[in-house]
Amino acid sequence: MRIVVCVKAVPSTTEVKMDPVTNTIVRDGRQAVVNPFDATALELALRIKDERAAAGEHVDVTVLSMGIPDTERLLRDCIARGADDGLLLSDRAFAGADTLATAYALTCGIESMGAPVDLVICGKMAVDGDTAQIGPELAGALDVPCIAGVERLVELCGKVLSAERATDAGREFVEVELPAVITVAKDAAQLRMPSIAGVLAAEDAPVAVRTAADVKADPTRTGLAGSPTQVVRSFVPERAHEAVPVEGTAAEQAAALATLIEEACR
Amino acid sequence: MVDMLPMTPEFGEYLRDESRSVGTADSISFPRTEDEIRSVLRSLHGVSGADGKPVAITVQGARTGLAAGAVPSGGHVMNLSRATAYLGLSRDEDGTYLLRVQPGVILSELRRHLARHTVPTDGWDRASLDALEELYAGPEQFFPTDPTETSACVGGMAACNASGARSYAYGPMRPHVRALRVALADGDVVALRRGEVRARARRLTLATESGRTLELDLPTYTMPCTKNASGYFVEDDMDAIDLFIGSDGTLGIICELELALMPTPAVSWGVNCFFASESDAIDFTCAVRPVLSDACAIEYFDADALNILRRQRERSTAFSALPAMDDAWSCCVYVELACSSREQALAELARLGDIARDCGGSNAATWVGRTDIDRETQRFFRHAVPESVNMLIDERRRTDPTITKLGSDMSVPDERLRDVMALYRADLAAAGLESAAWGHIGNNHLHVNVLPRNTADYAAGKRLFEKWARAVTDMGGAVSAEHGVGKLKRSFLAVMYGEQHICEMASLKRQLDPYLQLGQGNLFELETCERGA
Repeated sequence: MRIVVCVKAVPSTTEVKMDPVTNTIVRDGRQAVVNPFDATALELALRIKDERAAAGEHVDVTVLSMGIPDTERLLRDCIARGADDGLLLSDRAFAGADTLATAYALTCGIESMGAPVDLVICGKMAVDGDTAQIGPELAGALDVPCIAGVERLVELCGKVLSAERATDAGREFVEVELPAVITVAKDAAQLRMPSIAGVLAAEDAPVAVRTAADVKADPTRTGLAGSPTQVVRSFVPERAHEAVPVEGTAAEQAAALATLIEEACR
Repeated sequence: MVDMLPMTPEFGEYLRDESRSVGTADSISFPRTEDEIRSVLRSLHGVSGADGKPVAITVQGARTGLAAGAVPSGGHVMNLSRATAYLGLSRDEDGTYLLRVQPGVILSELRRHLARHTVPTDGWDRASLDALEELYAGPEQFFPTDPTETSACVGGMAACNASGARSYAYGPMRPHVRALRVALADGDVVALRRGEVRARARRLTLATESGRTLELDLPTYTMPCTKNASGYFVEDDMDAIDLFIGSDGTLGIICELELALMPTPAVSWGVNCFFASESDAIDFTCAVRPVLSDACAIEYFDADALNILRRQRERSTAFSALPAMDDAWSCCVYVELACSSREQALAELARLGDIARDCGGSNAATWVGRTDIDRETQRFFRHAVPESVNMLIDERRRTDPTITKLGSDMSVPDERLRDVMALYRADLAAAGLESAAWGHIGNNHLHVNVLPRNTADYAAGKRLFEKWARAVTDMGGAVSAEHGVGKLKRSFLAVMYGEQHICEMASLKRQLDPYLQLGQGNLFELETCERGA
């Protein structure tokens, strides 16, 4: 069995600052991390691998990403935690991709692996984009079923995977036959930490780095050229807030607070 | 002049600290500046209270101490939590950044400001602003002292010579304090800069800013060669600044500190190594200490501590984020690596794995924290132990309010680690007490916590601690390694140094605080001071 886990490098900070002039994210020099939703995806893949291994079946878990060369470091970290190998799609031709072009590139990457892939697991969305489109688009491109927003992987019995997902109406229990794509909610699992053995082994583990040409991608469908999304404008919403410290004894604080409320109500 | 407010019920929280002891007081003030601190001291100097005795003055910071040093013994509470200004920045001849702050600055805020480049600069001069610009442009800087409780304030940390896990590499607070301004009991000030004022043997001459000269006779005891926060720091030809660091608020009030910052290590990884027995964990500790050159912390969690975490993980959603632990793992040693490069960290990691294997562990039975998320999980794991123990004790106190947690803070020299661990185990087993032990095994400094189920357990635990204080002293150790003595460990200090030396400490205090007003009840009782006179 082969599982592919799609991971994205995202900024490590949760406190995103925007440049007021360019309206772009200020990168603070901190290293990128694996998108937390994708970390959950990896853990679910590793659990399947562990369970199947206990039953005597070998499961290959490959981590796949499209990104800059430094993303290889994150793929090695995934291998340190239990993935078998990694594939990084890194090429200027991929730059500026929207979700459609990204899904196309990832599809090319999966198809370049040679061996058939039984299950693709993605995080539901990326914390720096919030689109939640890659998984379903990937399923469309691969022409396989998709369960989006899985909160609990119930069972993988033979080639049938059952999972629970949250919907506006409540909870839904879904079964699909593999091959399939699932996207997972962040709280579905907590990614395990790597061991010393894992970290050291990951240093020499195979991580293939391939260009668009390597994976036979159509240049008109990758990167900016393959992205129909047009960003007209990005901006930081205006916010006004003011904090007034209230100090003194309890009576003084109460009086000051009353005055502030009175002024605000005027 | 800052207000001196009557100690009404709304200030009730200022009668307590994290030790959960409760004191009494008549009044409280919240000075924000050195002038305000001095004016309070001058107004109370030699003044008698209703009982006819000089008014006691207890200085407080964030009240996170565990030895009741900030719990008042009547009189006045001077709370410095509002003295939180950042005063300036400079560099010494080696390029080290020196940050001047008021004592109420909270450690977590200091760290945040340094990491985010948001150090407040109100009122700074041009030179300080230029130095700050250089700091922001260069490699990230940090303040290395890391007590578990990051809501501690730097004044309190200096007053008890706080440590923390990383004291294995960086030592306690003491070496990171370059200068102090200390207000004496009469409101006069001594300005001390490391390296400028030294004792001659055990005689120290201090000049105050008003022009007085104080000739001080220092106590004659010899301090143990271990991690130590027990009583006054004294040694031949000592630096004057060290007398006030760790003096538990009894000799003067710290109005200003100059803190030496350090470049943040390029690579910082945490490694939890699990073992099947305590003996293996001790072997591992003894084996890694001489071999690892970049370990900044070596911490321990015993089987009871891990079992408490396993239970919490099952029972409480607040602890469900704790990583699962294999049942075969009985105890854990956590090693933190601070390296200048990734390659160096990998080499240290490989050494660590080899040693773990040689000591009965496995390099697979480990957790390596390299990302912020994993490091945060490891911090949560470490902090969840004392938090869970506190919750357990709170639960038991509902049925028996007389009991409380009993936590030891003793250290011994390296060569006595096995002896002291054997002593703890034998005594706890013989007494039939529940316990959990964790802490700074790299410094041979464990917090052995007795978890009393009833009053009898509590009394038995206290007896054990008294016994351990004697045994640890005999091993050449210290009865308090990082929490300070405060009011809770006075009897241990007496065991460690003996009555004559306690009287010498009291005598020294009287030379600086003739009415014995400051930090009354810390280190020794008032009666001892009076005898010391």
